[in-house]
Amino acid sequence: MEDFLYFFTFQDSSIAFVVIGITLLGLGSAYVGTYSFLDKKALLGDAISHAVLPGICLGFMLAGEKNPIYIVSGAFFSGALATFLTSWIRNNTKLSEDAIIASILSIFFGFGVVLLTVIQKSGNPEMAGLNQFIFGNAIAILEEDLYIYGGLAILIIITLTVFQKEFSLLVFNPDFGIAVGYPMGLIRLIFNVLMILAVVIGIQAIGVVLMAALLITPGAAARFWTDRLHKLLIISGIFSVISGIAGTYISFILPQMPTGPWVVVCLSFLALFSFLFAPNKGVLSRTISRNKYLRKTHQDHLLKALHHAIEEGKKYLTIEEIYEAFPYQKQKNNKSIDDLIKNRLVTKNQNIIILTNEGKSESKRIVRLHRLWELYLNEYMNIAPDHVHDTAEKLEHILTPEMEALLEKRLNFPKLDPHQENIPRDYDDL
Amino acid sequence: MMTFDQNAFLIILTASLIAISCGLLGVFMMLRKMSMTGDAISHAVLPGIVIGFFVSGSQRGLEVIIGAGILGIIATLVIDWLRQKARVQLDASIGITFTLLFAIGIILINLLAYKVDLDQECVLYGEIAYLPIDLWISDSGFNFGPRITYLAVLNVTLVVAFITLLFKELSLTSFDENFSTVIGLPTKGINLALMSMVSYTTVSSFEAVGAILVVALLVVPPATAFLWTKKLMPLIQLTSALGIFIAITGYYCAYLVDSSIAGMMVAVSGVLFLGTVIIKGKKSNFTFELPWKKSRLALEDKTL
Amino acid sequence: MITQVDNPILEIHDLIVSYDQSPVLWNVDLSLPSGKLIGILGPNGAGKSTLIKAIMGLVKPSSGYVKIFDKTLEQVRSRISYVPQRESVDWNFPASVLDVVMMGTYGKLGLFKRPGKKEKDIALSCLDQVGMMSFVNRQISELSGGQQQRVFIARALAQEADLYLMDEPFAGVDMSTETAIFHLLQEMTAQGKTVIVVHHDIHSAMNYFDWMIMLNLHLVASGPNEKVMSEELLRKTYGGKLNLLTKVTDIIKQKDFNPLKN
Repeated sequence: MEDFLYFFTFQDSSIAFVVIGITLLGLGSAYVGTYSFLDKKALLGDAISHAVLPGICLGFMLAGEKNPIYIVSGAFFSGALATFLTSWIRNNTKLSEDAIIASILSIFFGFGVVLLTVIQKSGNPEMAGLNQFIFGNAIAILEEDLYIYGGLAILIIITLTVFQKEFSLLVFNPDFGIAVGYPMGLIRLIFNVLMILAVVIGIQAIGVVLMAALLITPGAAARFWTDRLHKLLIISGIFSVISGIAGTYISFILPQMPTGPWVVVCLSFLALFSFLFAPNKGVLSRTISRNKYLRKTHQDHLLKALHHAIEEGKKYLTIEEIYEAFPYQKQKNNKSIDDLIKNRLVTKNQNIIILTNEGKSESKRIVRLHRLWELYLNEYMNIAPDHVHDTAEKLEHILTPEMEALLEKRLNFPKLDPHQENIPRDYDDL
Repeated sequence: MMTFDQNAFLIILTASLIAISCGLLGVFMMLRKMSMTGDAISHAVLPGIVIGFFVSGSQRGLEVIIGAGILGIIATLVIDWLRQKARVQLDASIGITFTLLFAIGIILINLLAYKVDLDQECVLYGEIAYLPIDLWISDSGFNFGPRITYLAVLNVTLVVAFITLLFKELSLTSFDENFSTVIGLPTKGINLALMSMVSYTTVSSFEAVGAILVVALLVVPPATAFLWTKKLMPLIQLTSALGIFIAITGYYCAYLVDSSIAGMMVAVSGVLFLGTVIIKGKKSNFTFELPWKKSRLALEDKTL
Repeated sequence: MITQVDNPILEIHDLIVSYDQSPVLWNVDLSLPSGKLIGILGPNGAGKSTLIKAIMGLVKPSSGYVKIFDKTLEQVRSRISYVPQRESVDWNFPASVLDVVMMGTYGKLGLFKRPGKKEKDIALSCLDQVGMMSFVNRQISELSGGQQQRVFIARALAQEADLYLMDEPFAGVDMSTETAIFHLLQEMTAQGKTVIVVHHDIHSAMNYFDWMIMLNLHLVASGPNEKVMSEELLRKTYGGKLNLLTKVTDIIKQKDFNPLKN
């Protein structure tokens, strides 16, 4: 608790720097990453983040110490080289994109490991600082680092905001962009530069191995909450910043812990939460609406059964008859009857179920839609009368009033369905 | 000073065996366009390895392989779940799954540091140089020789047996998955078997070359060989030959500059790969074009 | 205009197929006679390939079923042969023409067994039938589109089946090859085999097919060539999609789940 207060009240200015740094870089990489996620190039980000390792090591070797300018430039150049090689190899060989990305990623990382071990064995005392770039150590962000990382992050955010229209075009429909005269090649180049920059500034905090998560996961998680681009960017930014700060806090209270893995775990937790619980698109929400729909269809079928009973000259159905009509689902039947009573569509007296007036009108509507669709299938799709029932059984629940009006018009307000049964209208007596 | 002694021989032999196992599986992964899935699997098995180490204590054995195998299968299932149930696009599903599992693995290493004889560097690039002193000694004190070499021999035997036995099925499912489903081959089962072999090979090789560099051995030699030949058998043979060449050259280069042997093997394979692309690329005369022109070309390719 | 037959070789019952919950085939219900050359016609996006894939079990129908030789697909797999669309595979795959044609024999061979002399002879005779003998050892990446198509047909022949399903086997094929392949298919039907072909050219369809299936999201017609080749049916097939059908599809797409699934 003391740690918690100490950390979040920012008494220590170095902690304030760290939090500002992680917020900015989280926003920047989530911003770029969301675009590359929409562009379905998520794994290119993975390749770039592995590929900056040799550049970091070279920058370190040239500077002889952990100088942020050398390291950022080195990382940028090796990231840029990897990106360029990827597209060059794609254009010049028959190798598939996937094999190219995996090759570039692992080759660059291999070179990085060679340089890393060479530096290690040279006995440079600053070596420990270099190791942080692999799994990240946000706590080690110093004031001078902040100016560079933070500055670059702000540059990324501003560029993406100013050119939002162009980058959306790049992701959504580049051919159209070319057709209307945008320099799409240049826009793609700028986007790649921003992506490399996002990786470069992330490595101090997250590390080269896991940086891909900061590009991929926020966008994928935010996609479950909205269909609008600007909301998507804001939500992914929030996810990314929350995880960044949480990861930093954990590596603050557990000093031997690298930051990157914890950031990734937090991010993945938020993503999992989104996948499961987001409204509309989440797994849970989809399951609930499907179950609700299935309950509704069962109620519709009960109403239809009552309707058929009346057509056959009976006034009502007993509950036993309903159990018989829908066997092996006694509980479901009871639940549906209860729901129908609640909606005032049927009444229950002892064991007798009777349609109310509203119930009659609703049951007529369902039977009408069923028979209209049967007729449509028969007349317009040439489907034999004995084959139309099953589909109509499903469509009757989803046809809208607008569709009903269209069907009526197209079929010229028919009286009978293909089985010569009456198509009930609201004004018909039941 | 270059030397060729028993230790060098053992290291080169083991490295060649590992490179061959990886390359053989890598050929089929590449032909299925699943190289990145191989990358994901090799990252994702890490928590299984750590837990296996933890459970087995100092005796590294079956627990590690079982742990990693379980994680490999979990990773495949999670990727499928994300795709089908949560409807996340494939590349993002792969990216999310392997980064999460790898992160958990690193966290476990740090949490269990006192109990697990594993460090982050071993995970990254392994340490094949210590192979000659890591011996397999029986309970009665008999010295069989380097433990990792035995693992590599077993691994290469199983991989070769696997590919020989299922050669026809592997090539057909890689070429035309729909057709193999139609003629009644267990396409999904074959795919799962291949993924399991990849996880097993990753685990078996990882102490020597690390979890990330295994990917390079899986991907780069097949991709290089693919540019030299249009036939499957020569592709497999050339991949194996490249594996041996990489092991030998990598060992001596690492010796020269005093660096990680596994890292140098990958660096050598990278040089071979890039050289091959320059020689065998569509434009064999290497002209440097400005990247934005290139990316515009790529866009125009898409339009066509 | 849907002609049903007795003792059909293929029976499709009320088939509905959806991709990502948008229905692409509505209520297809038909039966086909054996020993005929049968064409599936329809505009782009009419569901022709989907129908073939549903018959072959490659896409799961939302409802309905398919019976072949009055049995389920699993029971008769070895008697059915399939030619996928040429673009469905990567022709850079390192294999020779012979390798690909031999794949046709793998189904009968079973797991683990290696193809031998017998399989090679079958493959060679099939290559002979499609006139590709001089390309036996050629790498498939070096073939023209029409040659690749013929390799696929040879592979299907090597399956030695009774029912052949071919998805666009004439795409990218020149006139003379098309004629040659049609004659080959006619020979096969003369021997009692049944061949179902997805096709898009109405003129050659009139000349060669015995039976025609016309699709446009739903089944417009299925019957003997002379009965279904009418202007009215062609207009129904090619004259745009049914307005109501596209509207219903839109409604279903907007749901968070597929309401057509059982």
